[in-house]
Amino acid sequence: MSTGSTASLVEAKTAFGSRPAGLGGLLRKTARLLLGLAATALVWEGAVQLFGIRPAYLPRLSTILMAIAATPRAYLDGFLRTSAETLIGFVTGGAFGVLTSIAFFRVRALREMVFPIFVVSQTIPVIAFGALVVLWFGNTLLAKAVIAFYLTFFPVTVNTLLGLETVDPRQVALMRSFGASNRQLLLRLQLPTALPQIFVALRLASSLSLVGAIVGEWFGDTTGLGVLLLQAMFTENFVAIWGALLAAALLGTGFYAVIAAAERRLVFWSAEQ
Amino acid sequence: MSSAAPTSPSLAVQRGILGAVLLVLCWEGLARGLHLPSYVLPAVSEILAGVWSKRAPLGEAAGYTLLEALAGYGLGCLIGIGLAVAITMLPALRGVILPAATAINSVPVVGYSPLILLWFGIGVTSKMVMVAMAVSFAVFLSTLAGLDRVDRRAVDLMRSFGAGRLAILWRLRLPTALPLLLAGMRVSTVRSVIVAIITEMLGAYGGLGWVIYQAVLQIDFVQVWAAIFVASAASLSFFGLIGFLERKILFWK
Amino acid sequence: MFKPMLSRRHALIALAAIALTAGFLTTVVPAAAETLTKASLRLKWLPQAQFAGFYVALAKGYYKAEGIDLTINPGGPNLLTENLVATGADTFGLSGGTDSVFAARDKGLPIVCIGVSHQITPFIFVTRKDGPVKTLQDFKGKTVTTWFTGANHVLTGMLAKEGIKADELKIQPQQVSVTPFVDGTVDVITATYYNEFYTIQSRMPKDSLKTFVAEDYGITFPRDTLIVSETTAKEKPDLVKAFLRASLKGWKDAFADPKGAVDTVMAVAPTLDRAQQEFMLTEVKRLMTAGKAEQNGLFWIDPDAIKTTHDFFLKYGVISKPVDLAAAYDASFIESVPVADRKP
Repeated sequence: MSTGSTASLVEAKTAFGSRPAGLGGLLRKTARLLLGLAATALVWEGAVQLFGIRPAYLPRLSTILMAIAATPRAYLDGFLRTSAETLIGFVTGGAFGVLTSIAFFRVRALREMVFPIFVVSQTIPVIAFGALVVLWFGNTLLAKAVIAFYLTFFPVTVNTLLGLETVDPRQVALMRSFGASNRQLLLRLQLPTALPQIFVALRLASSLSLVGAIVGEWFGDTTGLGVLLLQAMFTENFVAIWGALLAAALLGTGFYAVIAAAERRLVFWSAEQ
Repeated sequence: MSSAAPTSPSLAVQRGILGAVLLVLCWEGLARGLHLPSYVLPAVSEILAGVWSKRAPLGEAAGYTLLEALAGYGLGCLIGIGLAVAITMLPALRGVILPAATAINSVPVVGYSPLILLWFGIGVTSKMVMVAMAVSFAVFLSTLAGLDRVDRRAVDLMRSFGAGRLAILWRLRLPTALPLLLAGMRVSTVRSVIVAIITEMLGAYGGLGWVIYQAVLQIDFVQVWAAIFVASAASLSFFGLIGFLERKILFWK
Repeated sequence: MFKPMLSRRHALIALAAIALTAGFLTTVVPAAAETLTKASLRLKWLPQAQFAGFYVALAKGYYKAEGIDLTINPGGPNLLTENLVATGADTFGLSGGTDSVFAARDKGLPIVCIGVSHQITPFIFVTRKDGPVKTLQDFKGKTVTTWFTGANHVLTGMLAKEGIKADELKIQPQQVSVTPFVDGTVDVITATYYNEFYTIQSRMPKDSLKTFVAEDYGITFPRDTLIVSETTAKEKPDLVKAFLRASLKGWKDAFADPKGAVDTVMAVAPTLDRAQQEFMLTEVKRLMTAGKAEQNGLFWIDPDAIKTTHDFFLKYGVISKPVDLAAAYDASFIESVPVADRKP
């Protein structure tokens, strides 16, 4: 497989190693996960009480969970809203990334003209954009999705290009000798070959679009995990901050796991990345 | 990054410049042609004039932000590389450190900024901590990936010559890991500047994020964009610097 | 080579279904929902009891009754209400204060102030009674934190009147937390009556604090100004008046039933501290019913106070040129509401 892929972008390995097959494997994995979570929860509770850590630094897990249970609507609505923004940004950013890299792959001149601009665009602090995006798009889901899109498309473009370039030219020649059109070439050879690399980017993009959604919510949104974080900061409510962080961790992990699962289904031929 | 590059480098550069020029022209045309007020989109010429006229405060702010970014970057690299080396030396740690690090990083780093700001105040310390957090995970993963690539047979060979663990680390593992390690470091440069700016916008005494925050509240959007341009330039310079160092170190690549 | 996926029969059935659904939607679904005007109100900060009246009016359906489908958008750091109203992203705004309105008009933003909420300066400068700062002159050389969103002008203005220049002390941006003041790192802190002052008093006894009030030095800074864009004021005066009527009703209800008002606010932002919100509402009521508002009702625009602030800004260079007060402040909308409805 293309080892050069890791030279330009970092992939996050899951902590759970390779994939055991079948339902038994799934159950074992879930059991291990739950056990790990339970262990962490116990250590958290124990450490805070044992070392007398002030709630300003680290509240007890039970306090945080109770606070969430006291006002579940806020966290649930926030979770769903942030998920929606993340998803839309992710899908649009991913689609745009794949499409532009196909265009870049086909038309070399276009790539050389536009790709440097893409690179520079990623150096612009998106939070500075946030104030402008809200001015342009108002307080809508669209504004937050735009910010998420902005953070997502670049790694997808870069990695799709990388993947497309690993296509074996002899296979291309072979298919052409059978009279394959450009479109068939793309759909049947090039994209499937690029798929492992595309998924590397999608896994990275899943966390980036969450960043975009949260930062976007800091610009006067009504609901969302980023909103909860901001409100908690200005009221110095540490328990609430941790509650929002836990919810965000859940969202981030869940989203990543979905992408990783989709990858295992679709890219069944790739070795351990 | 392409293996088959039929165009000559100079042509590629020319095309890149052409693309940038076209973008600038479109922007200028839009802003002037549609008479867009500056709080929607100022013209590029206005922004550049603003950068020049406020070059002293902008330069100072850029220095402030770069200081936070560089310090946090250095700290983050040390932590990331250190943890990866620790796992390589003591494999039992992998089952503890890797899940913990992944869990902490399942929350986007920016999510931690409210907490870090309350813990460390709005001075430079909080920004350095944020940057270190953002950089350490990426560097940790890429260093670990690099160290994991080491060929077992090479390790066994060195052991058969009586090399100690530290010697193997220094002479075999680290050099093998260097390309991936440096790639991770290169990617993290831009992130460090951006994370510093994001944290500054929530509370700071100075820096580019602070300049942007002030400018928004003073309805000086030319200043907002001027600060954005300067921030972008700072990121690119930092990126270029590390890339340059990488080429020097990896002279055999 | 390919068989058509859709046979003609399928296509006809699909078309018929679409036609039926369209007909259903346009005739059966009540059209009453379309008579409400969509509008939004952008607050100057995150949701809290400072804005209780608006939330109460929304919860009790007063805006709907006036034909407005209102969304309340919170403000926050990095957002300036004037910008958002000027670009049309929001219809109404509750902005920083007379200072930000002046600054916006100075920069050419087309906004108009239609009401002033806090009739007197809502923040004070607080120091320790047993500390080194006894008078304004003692500010020299000390560490003073303030917000650079308007409060800094009050500070520099008060100092200027005493002949003190801003660079004779250390003015720093104020942190989110009051801890630096409580710990003694900061000598003088800026505190709103309803927010920071509460937090400070929860950590230090009230009689250990000394306050400096702007009004004692002949300056008053009315804050929390309601604004709309010039376009809205010109083209939709009825919308503006309807908004004011509904908001006034909401505020009157909020003052009459403070516990219920705090309930409404807590429902919007559940992580708030209830005790502080109740305190906040009491203080806000005091600020909103002070000065001329006692006679003329809530959101009254006092031309004398506005003129004094304007001249003050002009004198100390906060604005570059005189602002056309008649264009910036339009009291006709609030005056159109009968006085009885304006008084709490």
